[in-house]
This record gives sequence, structure tokens and C-alpha cells, in this order.
Amino acid sequence: MNQFDCTVNSCMKEADIEGFSEKKTESSNFEFPEETSYWIFQKHKGFQGLFNRIGAFLFILFVFMALFPSVFAPYAPEERFIPYEAPSEEHLLGTNDIGNDILSELAFGARISMTVGFMAALISTLIGTALGLCAGYFRGALDELLMGFTDVVLVIPKIPLIIVLGAFLRPSIWILISILGLLSWESTARVTRSKTLQLREAGYVKSAQCMGFSSYHIMKSDIFPNIIHILFPKFMLATASAMISEASLSFLGLGDVSMKSWGMMLSFAFSQGGFIRDMWWWYMPPGICITLCVLSIALIGFGLEAKEGEYFREGANTL
Amino acid sequence: MRLLPRNTLLERNTLLERNTLLERNTLLEVRDLEVSFQGMETVTVLSGISFSIKESETLALVGETGCGKSIVAHAIMNLLPPESRVKGNIEFRGKSLSEMNEKEMAKIRGREIAIIFQNPSLALNPVYSIGHQLVEPLCVHQKEKKKTALYRVALALKRMGFVNFSECMNYYPSWCSGGMNQRFLIAASTILNPALLIADEPSKGLDKKCITELEAELKNLKMESKSALLLISHDLGFVRRLADRIAVMYAGEIVELANSSSLFENPLHPYTRGLLNSLPEKGFIPIPGFSPPLNSLPSGCRFHPRCPLREKRCIRVHPEIKETGEKAVRCFLYP
Amino acid sequence: MFSISLRADSISKIYGAGLLSEGRCVFQNVSFEIRPGETFGLTGPSGEGKSTLGRVIAGIEKPTYGTVYYEGSSLSKMKRTKYMAFRRKVQIMFQDPTGAFNPRKKIGSSVFDVLKLLKIPNIEHASKTKEMLITIGLSEEVLSRYPSQLSGGQLQRLAIGRILLLEPEYIILDEPTSALDVSVQAQILHMLKNVQTKKNIGYILISHDQAVIRFMSDTCGLLENRQLRIIE
Repeated sequence: MNQFDCTVNSCMKEADIEGFSEKKTESSNFEFPEETSYWIFQKHKGFQGLFNRIGAFLFILFVFMALFPSVFAPYAPEERFIPYEAPSEEHLLGTNDIGNDILSELAFGARISMTVGFMAALISTLIGTALGLCAGYFRGALDELLMGFTDVVLVIPKIPLIIVLGAFLRPSIWILISILGLLSWESTARVTRSKTLQLREAGYVKSAQCMGFSSYHIMKSDIFPNIIHILFPKFMLATASAMISEASLSFLGLGDVSMKSWGMMLSFAFSQGGFIRDMWWWYMPPGICITLCVLSIALIGFGLEAKEGEYFREGANTL
Repeated sequence: MRLLPRNTLLERNTLLERNTLLERNTLLEVRDLEVSFQGMETVTVLSGISFSIKESETLALVGETGCGKSIVAHAIMNLLPPESRVKGNIEFRGKSLSEMNEKEMAKIRGREIAIIFQNPSLALNPVYSIGHQLVEPLCVHQKEKKKTALYRVALALKRMGFVNFSECMNYYPSWCSGGMNQRFLIAASTILNPALLIADEPSKGLDKKCITELEAELKNLKMESKSALLLISHDLGFVRRLADRIAVMYAGEIVELANSSSLFENPLHPYTRGLLNSLPEKGFIPIPGFSPPLNSLPSGCRFHPRCPLREKRCIRVHPEIKETGEKAVRCFLYP
Repeated sequence: MFSISLRADSISKIYGAGLLSEGRCVFQNVSFEIRPGETFGLTGPSGEGKSTLGRVIAGIEKPTYGTVYYEGSSLSKMKRTKYMAFRRKVQIMFQDPTGAFNPRKKIGSSVFDVLKLLKIPNIEHASKTKEMLITIGLSEEVLSRYPSQLSGGQLQRLAIGRILLLEPEYIILDEPTSALDVSVQAQILHMLKNVQTKKNIGYILISHDQAVIRFMSDTCGLLENRQLRIIE
């Protein structure tokens, strides 16, 4: 037993112990690893993985179409040919009432629809996150105030409001984006708030408060990275929802006439006699495109579910 | 017939009992168990574990967190994750467990081998009441009607010492403290009188008072039922009063196996001596260094970086386990 | 004599007291004092409010009645600059080692944040960190790991190391070893004692384990039935 008495200091230096695999000699480059890891993509196997991959593939296809429409479009969308033509070799999807090639319109319309979707979702996610973080972190009076405000906004109906505005102002794409963005942040705010309430009890947040970090720093650096895995799917789903809203509004005639989105194409198809003449090559492609685009976004959104507390675990270490 | 004086009777009974301990059948036998996980790199978590448990015996498996003790329990119950590879032999009452299919294994789990996991509050389903959860194993394994099952559960709770057992049946897990939940779990596991009960770190997260109650509970269990107990823990002090034999694990292998009393009086392996020294009674004397991560083990003897008695040989050669009678030790000090 | 002690004077904490309800009293009329270099052990049945008392002393929560004095001045009446200095000098180490660090950040990143907070010039970062790692007995390699890749004992050491960067005078240890193995517990307790002797820090050690309290503390208080009884 005497041989085993160790002095207090001997347990201190791990580096003193010979042959221990963790001992490192003085390294010349001493650098602080600074990245906060934002990695949220999870590998899913089997059926879920298939959904993910289909969704991702379709989505990338649509983004490509939005960025480089000339690859898909044989002609410029404003070029006029013989109107009301059925699909043929020159015009794969025929022409509309003023003679524009429908396929080209479709390709260029992707840009408009997706831009509206993304920007509206961006605005709504930003507002929702900021409000949810502040409400959840500070609690008390600010929390009550912000949640009351959220409830009020929840009640305001989006589409009727845009219809009313459409009567007074010239419908433009910016009105659409602003209204859609400014009125759909409630669920993001609520989800962010509840997650923040939970995270704020974590040991590292309390330690940071104890050490005297400012609230802004704690929210940015400790809480925000841990809620990103919820925000990203919410952003994607908000995009999908905004695209559908935009399509509905354009169909009702409240969209921007100068920028032809898929919804506008549908609207023209309806009002200029595409339905009556049974021109399926005019009204079906935009509808299919909207559906597929929204579906792909939804598949990606569902596939990004990250499980709590499982960041970077190697299998053996957990048991 | 002459009445023997009382103390002679007692002596005779304990002598008989001890003899029958030696003659008891082996309930569980584990031979050369090796478990590895296939991930980005293959990690061998257990390397050559061998031990046996006789009927009604209590074997304690002691070691630091991360040495692989829980994996032994999961391997016995066939509950390892799909990326694991198991080699070696696990035999329960002579039948090999590793070769059974899922259906046969499901019959054995809960009925003949029961397991109590680490975190009591997480092991109970929060949306069902305690009564419902205790009744489940009876209904599933013994096909009892709910009414009779409830009656049996009530009796079991009463036996455990719950005063208001009829009210307890309607409690939900979130209403009760960790200690109470742990006792419910023990009741649920023992209701079918399993032959082997595996307790995976039952004292984790409980405070001193709960630990004393838990000890009393397990002691009661030992005396009343005839179950064997495999007790997995990191605390030598906790298992001291409960275990018949103790196996000390380090970095995925067993380094010492001995009777409880002889381990405490005369620990052989330097790691065991270190563990005993770090107990509160001996003054919290720590073992220097850290236990190695399982994916980068030291060469030779796995304990050599932290051993004050190491020689040159210990760094190069890996010692095998040497069995002498009831003891086994893995160290070059005892060739 | 200028006193640099941390003193609680008849503090009480009552939750939810208002016009309608009486509220729940956690503790009443608690007074004790602690100086740098000493250890005050706080024990009692679990769930009775030891952690709450620790938080009130550290200034994170306000007592319902009574005052906490630091260096002779009352916490509630301190000027902002003095309060910021106090905030550095009194720190808490929480119980659960796995929750002590942001799981998304590497350890080095968390340490770097603290160094930036203290406005330590870039040139001194390396030397201060190395010094801290030597005190707690870990190698530089841990800086590039995520918290989930380290063991409980290592995380607990890093938690103390991070606190030590702020050069506190008092540390409130809230059940520092309850979540750790018995063998690791011995290492951590020795490290804490070493740090105390080296840096002359006062500890308030909260634990339900009597053996730990006896091993570490000079004076001990028992919080039971909402009252604190000083023993030893």
C-alpha cells in the first residue's frame, strides 16, 4: 500500500506521465479553433434518405432554372409568334394568347416565383427569430408584450388585406413580398421563443451570465447556433407557403403584371380563354411546376430534422 | 430427537448454505466476449471478457465510466446497436444466447433475465401511470387478466414497503422523485421473479439517502427471491455490502475477479488498490491520469501509464488473466 | 481593517410572494461569512434550497429580505462599475459537467470568448491559456475537441479552468462531483484544493455528500427546515 501513496501534485500533470498517448510536446502553432459549428444536415438511411435525395434533386433543378433560364428556354419570353398554337416541334408547349412561347415563359417565371418565395420567407424568419429570441430570453414584461403583439398579427388575414391594398395601390411585387413577409412570422416566433426558454436554463448560458457576458453576446453566440436546426426547416417551409400564397394572389389578378410568375401564367390562361379552349399545355405546366417546387422544398424541410443533443457523437462513446 | 442448541443450528445452516453455494448451478456463463463497433473506424469496446454467475449469486462489475460495463449488460440482453459485432459465447442455463433469434430472445427478456437501466425517470413512460406500466409485463408474458395483474402488482408494492400502495398505482413517473421511480422499476423488473436481474448503475444520480434505501431494497430482494444479480456500478463502496464476488473492469477488460471480502482486504491489481484508495473512507487519494479512450489504447498493459509499479515489460507486453482458485488477476506482478 | 469578505446578513428568499399568496419560503434569516482561502461547506437534504442560497450569494438572484455584502458594500446599492468588478470576482460552477459548454462550439472557441470578454491582448492569449491548462492538468489537445467528445471529469476541470481565467476571489461550487465517478471525484477534489492554495480563492462548497464536505471544508453549515445552522 505504501508504494501506492501518491502525493497531491502527481495527479495534476497528465503530461508528466510517461508513455501516455495524450502527452504532447510544446506545439509551435498555438491557435484557437474559432468556428461555431452550424452543421445541421443529418444522414438518413432508407426511405427517408430517398425522399431527401429526390427533394434535393428537384430543388436544385428549379434553382438552376431560376438562375439560368436561357438553358431551358429556346426563345426570349417576349418574342411573339403565332398565338394559340398547340405543342409542336418549334414550340414544345405551344404559345399563349399573344404568341409568347410557353416553355420560355415557364423558365423565366421560375425566377419570379422563387424570388418572391425566398424573400418573403427571409423577412418572416428574421422577424420571427428576433422577436422569439428577445421574448424567450428576457421574459417578464417584454415577453408578454411581444407575445400579445404576435397574437394580434396572427389575427390579421393576409389575402384579404392584399386584395384591399390592391384596390388602392398598383399591385407590385414588392407589396406582395412585404405583406407576405410581415404577416407570417408568428409560428417562427413562437417556436423560437419556446426553444429559447428551454436553452436559457442550460449550464453554459447560466455560466455566461455569471461571467458577465452581455445579453446580446449570449443570444448570438450561445442560443442562436443551437436553434438554427429548427429555423432552417421553418425557413424552407415558409418559402413553400409564400410561393403558394403568391400563386393564389397572382391568379386572382393581384400579382405584378410586368413580372410573369407561374401564378400570373395561370391567371392569363384562365382569363384569356385557355381553359375554355382546353389548352392543357398552357394551364397545366405552371401548376405542375408550382406543385413540384413546393413539394421539393417540403421534402427538404422534413428531411432536415436534426435530433437533439446528438451532435458529433461517435457510436462507441455514447454507451 | 434431540434439540440442538440454537447457535449450533445457525452454524450448521450457514455451513450448509455455503456448501450449496459451491454446488449451485451456473446460471450465466460469458466466455471470451468481444464487442466492436463499426463506424468510420472500428473500435473494440470489449476484449475478451469472461465470467460466470451462479444461481442466487450477486456479481458486481465495477469500473470507471467508459470502460464498457454497460455494453456487457446490453450484449447479454442482445440489445446492442446494429453496427456492433459480437464474438464469443454467452450461455444462459446452458443455452447460447448469441445464437437465439429475436422471438426466443423476447421470451427470455423480462421473464428470465430482467434489466434495470440507468436513469429511472427516463426508463418509465411518462404518459402511462405506474400501475399500467407494472401490469404490462404480467399481461404480456403470463397472459393474465388485468384485474388479477393489478392485484399482484399491489401486493408487490406493498411488499416493497410502500405504505399507500393503492395510491401509488395511479401516480405518474413525473410526480415521483428519482428514488421512488427506481424502486418502481425494481418492482416492475422483479414481478415475474426472473432468474437473473441485471442492474445497470442503479445508484447514478441519486443522493445519499436514496442510495441507502436502494441498498436496503436490493438486500431484501436477495434474501426473499432467489434471483441472481449482476450489479454494474462505478462505486466500490456501494457494492461492498451487496456483492458476493466483484469483477473490476478497466478499458474493456477484466483486470481482477475475487470474492468481495478478499478484494477489500487484499486487493491484488494496482488499479483495484487505486480505486479503494479513492474512496471517501480512505481519504480520496486519486489515481493519476485518465482512463484511456477506447479508440486509442496504450500499448502493453492498458493501465501502465497510471501504474506506480510499472516495469519495462508492462509497456511492451499485454498481460493475460491468471486464475488461481477463486481469484483471477491480470498483472505481471502475479505471474 | 479593510474586510474583503463575502457576507450574507439575514437573507431570506421567498418565491411567489404577492398580494394573493404567501409564497414558498426557501430559507429565512441566513447569515454567514466567508474569506478568501477558506472553504465553507453547505449541506443538507436535497431539494431544500442549497443551490438557491448559492445563487443568491453570487448575486445572480436577489434575496427577498436581507443584504449580501461584498467588501463591505451592499450588492443592491453598488454602482455599476463596482458591480461589474464584483461579477468577475464571484463565480459559480454548476453541477452538470456536460451542460457547462456550448455543444456547438469547440472548447478552444469557448475559452477564446472569455479571453475576449476580459479584453486580454491577443499576444497574451496563448500564455494565459497554457497556464490555465497546466493548473487544471490537461493537455492542449482538448481545445480542439467538442464537449461531447470529452469525459465528465475533463469537462469539470475545463469548467474550473474557464472560471480561473477570470481570476475570481470566490467560487461557489454547486455539487461539483455528484455527476462523476467515485475515482474521478478524488481527482477533482484534489485539483480544487490545489487551486485554492495556489490562488487563495474562497469556496462555498454545496454538496449532499457528508464525506466530501468533511474533506474539503473549514466550516460547515446545515440548511434544514429553512434555517442555516453553523456546525464545526
